[in-house]
Amino acid sequence: MDIRKNEFYKKWFKNAWTYVVGAILLSVFQIITLAVTGNPWGVSGVLANWGAWLYQAVGGSVDKWYYFSSEGAQKTLEAGFWNHGGSMRNLGIIFGALLATLFASQFKIKKIKSKKQVLAAVLGGLLMGYGARIGFGCNIGALYSGIASLSLSGWVFALFLFLGAMVGSKLLVKFFM
Amino acid sequence: MAEKIVDALGEACPVPLIKAQNAIKEMNVGDILILQIDHSCAMKNVPEWARKEGHNVEIEEVDDGEWEIIIEKVK
Repeated sequence: MDIRKNEFYKKWFKNAWTYVVGAILLSVFQIITLAVTGNPWGVSGVLANWGAWLYQAVGGSVDKWYYFSSEGAQKTLEAGFWNHGGSMRNLGIIFGALLATLFASQFKIKKIKSKKQVLAAVLGGLLMGYGARIGFGCNIGALYSGIASLSLSGWVFALFLFLGAMVGSKLLVKFFM
Repeated sequence: MAEKIVDALGEACPVPLIKAQNAIKEMNVGDILILQIDHSCAMKNVPEWARKEGHNVEIEEVDDGEWEIIIEKVK
């Protein structure tokens, strides 16, 4: 039997799940994360640690950096990558996403179309990373976990996220269309 | 009946959708637009928009992670 024609294969692996299914799953994972680790879900804070570990690997030191100055942050860095729950979760997200596209046989290495695309991606990544750190979180840690914790800050983040997206889409149409 | 191919390979949302909207604007009723994409989100938002506008839409999976959205301008 051709698995590509199987109803269950199509439903579970091939076709995209609906937004409602995604929302329910994210909520369940948020509840599990909070119950098991005692902290709400965050993604980009972990990446700051990855940066610190990479920097240490090439001989740098972040001991004097204000961002990593707390005892907790130092302990996390000393314990290392493999003992850091958030790092394992981020790895899981990356490998899970890869697995999902492989199961759907939709894996493709995309061409880079122009230098403009590279420049925009690098600029966007730097701005998002920097913004997420001085904003104490990204759209997961600050927005999603913030609102889920009944914190006003999550809603403030949402308002400015919306304004930023409006400016961003105007720039996108101006430079990429 | 003209046929127009628009290459949106390597482009992320919402570029494929805007490209399709701009192309359809300049086409005559009965013309066919073939939009080439490799961004799975565009497989959702492009057909959604085109069907809401009342056009005929078909999606073809041409390769792993690569699709052609075929839109016939109806009005």
